[in-house]
This record gives sequence, structure tokens and C-alpha cells, in this order.
Amino acid sequence: MRDVSFGQYYPSDSFVHKCDPRTKLLFLIAYIVMIFLAKNFYALGVCALVFVIVAVASKVPFKSLLRSVKAVLFLLAFTAFLNLFFHSGKTVLWQWKFVVITQEAVYFTVFLAVRLFLLVLGSAILTLTTTPVALTDGIESLLSPLKWLKFPVHELALIMSIALRFIPILTEETGRIMNAQKARGADFETGSLFKRVKAIVPILIPLIIGAFRRADELGDAMDARCYSGSKVRTKYKKLTFTWRDLIALLLIVSLIVGIVLLRVYTPWLI
Amino acid sequence: MEAIKFEKVHFSYEADRETKDVFAEDTRFSLDGVDFSVEEGEFVAVLGHNGSGKSTLARLIDGLLSPTSGKITVLGLDAGEEKSLFDIRKQVGIVFQNPDNQTVATIVEDDIAFGPENIGVPRAEIGERITFALNAVGMSAYRHATTTRLSGGQKQRVAIAGVLALKPKIMILDEATAMLDPRGRKEVIDVVRRLNKEENITVLLITHFPEEALLADRAIVMHKGAIVMEGKPADVLGREEELQKCALTLPKAMKISRALGRFGLDVADSLTESTLAENIEKALRTADSSHIEIPQTRGACTRLKSVSSDGRILCKDLRYVYNSNSPFATFALNGVTVEIPAGEFFGILGHTGSGKSTFVQHLNALIKLPTAEKKYKVKKGKALPQTVLNVGKFDLTDKKTDFKALRLSVGMVFQYPEYQLFAETVFEDVAFGLKNFFEEMTEEETEKAVREAIEAVGLVYEEVKDKSPFDLSGGQKRRVAIAGVIVTKPKILVLDEPAAGLDPLGKEEILSLLHSLHESWCETVIIVSHDMDEIAENCTRVAVFSEGKIVAVGSPKCVFSSAEVINTAGLDVPFTQKTARILKEKGIAFDCDLTLADFVQKTLAFAKTAGAGTYRKQGGGEHA
Repeated sequence: MRDVSFGQYYPSDSFVHKCDPRTKLLFLIAYIVMIFLAKNFYALGVCALVFVIVAVASKVPFKSLLRSVKAVLFLLAFTAFLNLFFHSGKTVLWQWKFVVITQEAVYFTVFLAVRLFLLVLGSAILTLTTTPVALTDGIESLLSPLKWLKFPVHELALIMSIALRFIPILTEETGRIMNAQKARGADFETGSLFKRVKAIVPILIPLIIGAFRRADELGDAMDARCYSGSKVRTKYKKLTFTWRDLIALLLIVSLIVGIVLLRVYTPWLI
Repeated sequence: MEAIKFEKVHFSYEADRETKDVFAEDTRFSLDGVDFSVEEGEFVAVLGHNGSGKSTLARLIDGLLSPTSGKITVLGLDAGEEKSLFDIRKQVGIVFQNPDNQTVATIVEDDIAFGPENIGVPRAEIGERITFALNAVGMSAYRHATTTRLSGGQKQRVAIAGVLALKPKIMILDEATAMLDPRGRKEVIDVVRRLNKEENITVLLITHFPEEALLADRAIVMHKGAIVMEGKPADVLGREEELQKCALTLPKAMKISRALGRFGLDVADSLTESTLAENIEKALRTADSSHIEIPQTRGACTRLKSVSSDGRILCKDLRYVYNSNSPFATFALNGVTVEIPAGEFFGILGHTGSGKSTFVQHLNALIKLPTAEKKYKVKKGKALPQTVLNVGKFDLTDKKTDFKALRLSVGMVFQYPEYQLFAETVFEDVAFGLKNFFEEMTEEETEKAVREAIEAVGLVYEEVKDKSPFDLSGGQKRRVAIAGVIVTKPKILVLDEPAAGLDPLGKEEILSLLHSLHESWCETVIIVSHDMDEIAENCTRVAVFSEGKIVAVGSPKCVFSSAEVINTAGLDVPFTQKTARILKEKGIAFDCDLTLADFVQKTLAFAKTAGAGTYRKQGGGEHA
């Protein structure tokens, strides 16, 4: 159970692991923008190439990568599948009563699936190569200009990192509670929708109560360790840019420039 | 100088925070006029059963709660004052009970850095402090490890390191060992003792294990919000009657020496297994055997009962693979073969990850056996493993088995079952299983069954049935949770660590409750436990799991006497076995079941037959 949880970190000392989390976040944003700008398979091919380069540099085995996106694959397939029927087009390939599949729909479905897949894989690379603490530090640092607007950046980052920390614990607890109620004859798999929703109550209530209990205890523990907000706080881990980040940032910039140039001069390609 | 000083401190959770008006009717005080002080560098143990007010004490010292009346001074600062709290917290560290709920970060070093970061320690120094703290708790190798993957004892040591990094003068352990197995408990206590000796940190150890209190300079016993006993641990822990009133127990060595005394063998009060063995040796030399009576007790093995075969479990070559289709495939179970005849009070031992939980989850099909071909990916020409798993009259290898009926006859109580309570009233929660299994049941029948279950766990039906389960005390919650499983009268009852986290009296009560179920309608009871003493004291037979296999099955006596088994599985041995071993080295050898009662009986029998004073000759003869 623990191993399928979101945000699993794959320890290694690769180029990508050593990059500053802020660089990785920026890179991911640029990558996502690129994917959304892509209008055809050539452009997606470029995105895929970028992804492959980063994936190889990260030294994360392909299997772990796939495993970490397994959970969303179903959702992805489902979205694509719906598009197959609902995307309108002219060239009809197959028809049965009111169900129509057109050539355009097939093209669009495949395009969308590839696009979403690249998106999910890219995000997975980030969480696989960055510890939750580094990630939240990165977000905190990137958002720090908002401090001037009295936005509680530090608190937000802390909430995020604690949430990430408790995901595996709560996942495990859910499993344990489910098993316990199953052992008492609870049935989550059969029956009407109403019945199934009702069956969740004996899981949800203990889980919520447990979460509050944990929150209470964690609050005490944090208080006892002198937590008092961000006024006097120092940071043990300082984020520092290195030559790696420079290379990564140069790569982003050149990609963006490249795409813009291609859009201007060869609009039929991109 | 005094590190901590309490002067007439009262505290009530019900008191109005604003006016601190406690003179409203029926105010229940969690602390009722507490006066005590702790000197700097002292190691003080605070004992008390659950709900005695000892945890409130810890929270008051650190200003997590403020006293309703009275004065608390910590290192010269007033803990009731809001403005001195930060300075107090810098110098007082608390380690709480649940290791998971006090870790802030995912990586060990980040978590330890949290405290120093909060008080504004410069970056370079934080690094030094982390190194120091991890060294002090012996966890340097885990600096970059993920906190969720550590064992309970390791997690608590990290929590201690997190507190140490603040360089506190006082350290409070608020039942920090209650959720740990004996090995983890020892790890934590050893660290704390060393810190007290070497770093001169004042320690307040809040616990309900009398054995832990023995290590302190001074012991304080709390009961109903007041300090009722105080003094040297050896002295305090010997006052049997007073301790009983506070729902506490004697240390095991003391229990045995007192019991021997009652039957005519005058053994001096002992606190550890080695002093107990020495004192028995001395007593044997001088004892007058004519005064010794031999009590009638039942050894563990007499607990067997003969019954039908509904409670029988037969398991052959059971395998289970995690992540079966990935390169990370690991055998959680690698060919488990065991037979548990009906009528046993069966114990399952083994470390975390040894496969014992996976095994018990198979028993009521929470983990279902897959079709053999798919699971084991057997290559052509190779025979399939012949897995057999029969639980009662159910054959679990058969896909057509009625799993609902199976779950009805195999009850399963998970660890900390009180965390699964959910209903508005105790009645509804207990009736949950009934409603799932018997949809047609009439209200009278339901009420009758619920009443029986609640009474079987030792609660008064009329008193608790309409209460919210969340308003009960810890021990009561656990009973209600157990009632919710036994309400359907399963023939086989499986319990994972049924007594974990309870105080000693609560532990004894839960186990005697299980024995009474076992004597009435429950044919087979299986308990999974880390606690060797619990297993030795209660089980007729034990299976030891190690790396997905059963390495030994037999009576506690024979399992614990095999050094090889104990070493491969990395287990400890029960107290009685330890003492018997030392006695044997001294030439006093006798054969006993490992329960305390049987140990006492056999020692007395030895004293009687060997003849006081002459045992040396015989014992020596055996040795040679």
C-alpha cells in the first residue's frame, strides 16, 4: 500500500536529483506549457524528446516511472475513450445507431491520450526525483514574492509538506480500517450505489476522527518543539543554484525560444 | 537547583478557560493539588494507570496546558505565564506516545532540523546539532532515511533526537514506549538512561511499566490526579497493596519472589532476573523444606480443550508475493505449513515484516488465495505448489467458498481496534457485524446478542449501550471494539496485539477476558504478539515466523528453550525463561512451563524434593 502512494521519492544521485527544486518546478511549468501549445504530433514529438532526455538523466528506472503513473492511467484511458465518441468530425469510420466514430475523433483521441500521458509522466519525474521537503521549499521560495502581499507562503508550504508526509500513513490506516470492517461482514463491492455510499461511513468516520486525533497530537508536538510561525525561523537546507541548474534553465529558454521562432516562421509545422 | 516545581497545582479540562472558574458543580480535576519537585540532573519515573493524570502533568510543565490554580516553576520560569513559554519550551523537550504523530518531515535530518529552525539557530550549527543528536541516539546511519520506513523503536529514537537538537535541560517521555515492542522499548530506555548520565539531562519518564521505573533515581505514583506514593523505585515498587489500589502491578521478579514467600520459601524481594535467581539460590540453601507447600496451579498446556473440528486450521505450503508482477516481488509468505487444532490458545510470534500479519489475514480471506497458475507464474513442466488452506470447514483454495460465512466463523480483531469504532452509540457499533451478517435478524435477537457480547467483555450493558463509544476510556473502547467482533460468536478468534498500549492491569484484564471466551464458546484463540511474556503466560502453543516461514512450532517451553530458533528469528525470551537459565547455570535445573504460576510451583517443588541445602550436590552431579 505504502509503495503506490503519490509522491514516492526514488533515491539516486543523478543530474536531475541534484538540480534545485525551483529549477525543476520551472522546467515542469515550461514543459506543460509546451505540451499545451503543441498542435500536432511533430510538436508532441519534441516534447517527448525533452521528456526522454530528462528521464534518462534522472536515472529512474522506466518501470518505477510507469508504476508511479499507474493510478492515473485509468482516468487517462477513460477521458480518451469518451472523446472517441463525442468529438465531432466529418469522415465517418463506423456508425451504429446514434454512436458515431469519425476519423477526426480517432486522431484527436490518440493525440489527447499522448498529450495527457506526457503530462503525467513529466510530473511524475518531478516527484520521483525531489523529496517532498525540497519540493515544498522550492514552492515556498518561488512564491516568496507573494509575502509582500501578506500571503502566508511559509504556512502554506508547511501545510503542504505535512500533508505529503501523512499520505502514506493515512493510506495505511484506510487499508487497516477497511479490513477490520470487512472482517465484521461489511461489503463494499456489491449492492446499489446508495448502499455502497452508505458502506463507506464505517470507514470514513474512524478515518476522520483518527486524522483529527493525529492533527491534535502533531500540533502539541510542534508547539513543544518551539514552532511559532516564521518570524525567527532559520532554514537548515538552503536552496542553491549550481551549474546544473544553469544548464537546465538554458535548455528551457532555448526550447521556448525555439518554439516561438518555429511558430512565427513555420506555422504549418507547430 | 530545582528543575521543576509544582505548588498546589490543580487542573481541570472542564474549567472555564477565561475565568478559570472551577467551583461549578461536579468539576472533575485531572490534577488535584499536586506538589512535587524534580532536581536538576535527576531521573524521575512517574507511574500511573491510564487516566491517572500523568500525561496532564507533562503538558503542564511544557505550557501546552496551563494550570487552573497553583504555581508551576520550570528552571526558574513561571509556566503559567504566556511570555515565558517560548523560553521554557526551548529547554524542555517532550517525546510523545505515537511516533508517527510527532514527525514533521519525511526525511530524518529534516525532521530533526525542525526544532532548531524554529528557534533561529544558524544554518551551520543546525548541521552540527543534527550530527550530535543522531549520534546520541545511535541513529547516525539513518540521517537521510525516510521516517515512515523505520521501526517503532527507531522512530522514537528519531523523535528523541528531534528534541535533543534543541539542547534541552529537561526531557519528558510521555509514555514514549507504550506503543513499542519490547526490543524498541529497550532501545529507547537505554538511550534515555545514557542521556541522563552523560549529558546530565533531567529526565521525567512517564510510564506504566514498573520495570522501566526501576531504572530511575526516584519513582512517583499518581492516582486520580494526586501523587500517592513517592520514593526509591525499589521501595515504591514493593508496596503491593498500595500499588494494587492504583491499578498498577509489581515487577515480575517481585511477583515471583513474593509468591514463593507465600508458600514458605523465603526469597528476598528482587527486581531483576539476576537478583531473583541469586535470591532463590540463597533461599534454597537455608530453607526448611517442611514449611514449603506446593500450590495447585495449571500450566499453560492444561488450557487445551477438546471440541469439534470447526476451530481447526490446516495450512500447507502457503505462499504470498507482494508486487508479484514487478522486479520488486518479495515473498511475504514463502511456504508456510502449520496445523492449529481446535481448542488451542495459539500464539504467533515474529518481527515486523516476518509475514505473521499476512498469514492471519489469509485466515478470513482478507487476502484471498489467487488461482495458482496466475500467481506463481510457474514455468511449464514445474509442479504447482500444493497449497492447502482449510479454516474450520471452509476450503479457501476453492473459489466457490462462501466467504461471508467464513468471516462469520473467523473473528478478527486488529491492532488498536478502538480506532475502528464509528457509530453514534456503543449498541450500534457492536451490532454492526450482526446487521451485516444477518439481515433478517429481529430486534429482540439483535439486542440479546449485543447484550451478551457487551457483558462478555466485562462492561455493564445498561450503562454503556447508549453512550457514544468516543466518550469511553481507552480500555473500555478496546472492550467495545472486541465486543463488536465477538457478537457473532466466531468459532475462531484472531487478535493482533490485543493488549498493545494498555496499562499492565488493562493487559491482564483483556487476556483473562480472552481466556473466559476460550473456555465458553470460542474454540480457538490465536493471538499475534511481540511480547514474549504475554505469549509464555497465555498460549498453549506458539509458532515463530521469520522471513515468511515458520521456523518453529511448539509449546512456549520448547520454542523458547531452543537458542537456535530464538536467534534466527531475532527474538527475546520471557522473563521466566531468563531466570530459569540463570538458575540452571547455578546448578538449579528444573523443567517448567513458562507461566509465572508454573515457575513458582516448580521452584517450590524443587525446593521440597531436592531438599533445602543439598541441591548443590545434585545439581553439580547433573552438570558433570
